[in-house]
Amino acid sequence: MAAVVLDSVSKVYGSITAVDRFSLQVRQSTIFGLLGPNGAGKTTLIRILTTLTRPTSGRALVEGLDTQAEGRKVRELIGVVPQENNLDRYLTARENLVLHARMHGMKPEEYNRRIDELLELTGLSGRQHDFPDTFSGGMQRRLVVARALVHTPRVLFLDEPTTGLDPQSRRAVWDHIRSLSRDMTIFLTTHYMEEAEMLCDRIVIMDHGRSLVDGTASELKERLAHAHHYELEFRSGGDRYEEVLRALPFVKSLEKVGDTFRLTLTAEEDLKPLMDSIAGADLRKICLREPSLEDVFIELTGSKVRE
Amino acid sequence: MLVLRRALFSELLAVIAYPLTLYLAFGVGLKGYISAVEGVPYPVFIAPGLISMTAVNAAFDESAWSMWFHRRVQRTIEEYRVTPITVYDIVIGKILCGFSHGIFKGVAVTAVIFVFTPFRFSLLHLAFYLFYIILGSMIFSCLGTICGSTIDKPENIGRVQAVVLVPLIFMSGIFFPLSSYPAALVPFIKLLPTTAAFDGARQALLHGIMEPVYAVNLVVSATVTFLLAVWIFDRKMAE
Repeated sequence: MAAVVLDSVSKVYGSITAVDRFSLQVRQSTIFGLLGPNGAGKTTLIRILTTLTRPTSGRALVEGLDTQAEGRKVRELIGVVPQENNLDRYLTARENLVLHARMHGMKPEEYNRRIDELLELTGLSGRQHDFPDTFSGGMQRRLVVARALVHTPRVLFLDEPTTGLDPQSRRAVWDHIRSLSRDMTIFLTTHYMEEAEMLCDRIVIMDHGRSLVDGTASELKERLAHAHHYELEFRSGGDRYEEVLRALPFVKSLEKVGDTFRLTLTAEEDLKPLMDSIAGADLRKICLREPSLEDVFIELTGSKVRE
Repeated sequence: MLVLRRALFSELLAVIAYPLTLYLAFGVGLKGYISAVEGVPYPVFIAPGLISMTAVNAAFDESAWSMWFHRRVQRTIEEYRVTPITVYDIVIGKILCGFSHGIFKGVAVTAVIFVFTPFRFSLLHLAFYLFYIILGSMIFSCLGTICGSTIDKPENIGRVQAVVLVPLIFMSGIFFPLSSYPAALVPFIKLLPTTAAFDGARQALLHGIMEPVYAVNLVVSATVTFLLAVWIFDRKMAE
């Protein structure tokens, strides 16, 4: 049985279609990543799956349960890490976890041991009687993850779990997520390609409420294997060639980083006319560049900043 | 309750200071100028209303600000909503929280007025009085929950208090008898739930009278505001 099923789900807010006939199945005990630019519809999908928002049409199932008809049962099975650290700042770290356990109907003899384990696991045992306001962003994030795990959910939803964290805290959260994947299905959204690549067994990139591409990180990169990404580095006078390169009709994209130009050609055969156009240049390096997941993302969703 | 227990002293100090100041200013300060109102010494006349005012204000403040804070600032309402409890559990919990703050703070002010002033009342009248305090706190807790659920800007909650609640409270005869109003206005003033809560409470505590019109007014108002608060919160969460 699939852990998560979306069957032609749409969500419309007035004149805006946030999710447009989106279908998906996520296998149990996998880490699934949903990628997309701001406003792509990722958070709306998570809100539908966690029973916070009703879809305008279509059906969403979690562990075979309909999120609308059986919302309460769904909420018993899921853990949610929202984008923002919505901890109660008037309760200590431990009290936040106890409150969550009690809302799940757990008894003290069940939750006390579980909370001890989770605080140990997240490295917060020594700060369990402190208020979340006194924690760093990374510690608050770990506490939110611990809270989502108190009742041992079968499906864990993580909405941009590492946004705003420093690299060390981000890696600590990643390690923690990876350690959980044996026992539960993890459904995460992220902006970070590296995060998706490191963690996810399967990735879907979405935009404008629709799924654009679906596969493992290497499968997605393979899709861009036909694209011809090159790096050119000039020893001197690189600026002079920027306009020349931009004017070439077969250069699909051009990015300048220091003295290096990253460019995408429309076809392999364009390499020769490219070299002809910069003949005589003081070239230090020219190399073929493997496409990254970010290239795939930009290729599919465009490079313009969204409002 | 855990949070209230932690801040008990500061909460009580803040809550008691205001009605006690009013009592001293009006009850003691004006005592020499106003000998008796409807046959009752002025400090005694205003005391039941001050206790009721403390209770209903505390109920409104707690439910409105707590709901707003948990919804807009901490966003803990979203955390509650992804657990097996329902939106009805959440809103009823918030209403009961405001209600219990009202009762608790009303009792605290009663104790302080009782200890530090010559105000005395019959314990037999207390049960009637509690009826008014309980329903008054419930109504204001529901109104607070409605404000906290629907108002996004905090200054607008303050405006509702200043423009709607304070005039309603002061119009209901805390500091003067209803007979001061023109006779044609009195029936309308008596229809206000605040009048039922304050004037009814005074009659209950000082004279042991249970006014049926006031009692029905409060029961109906409490029922309507409760249903409205639950419905509005449910609708707001479904948005």
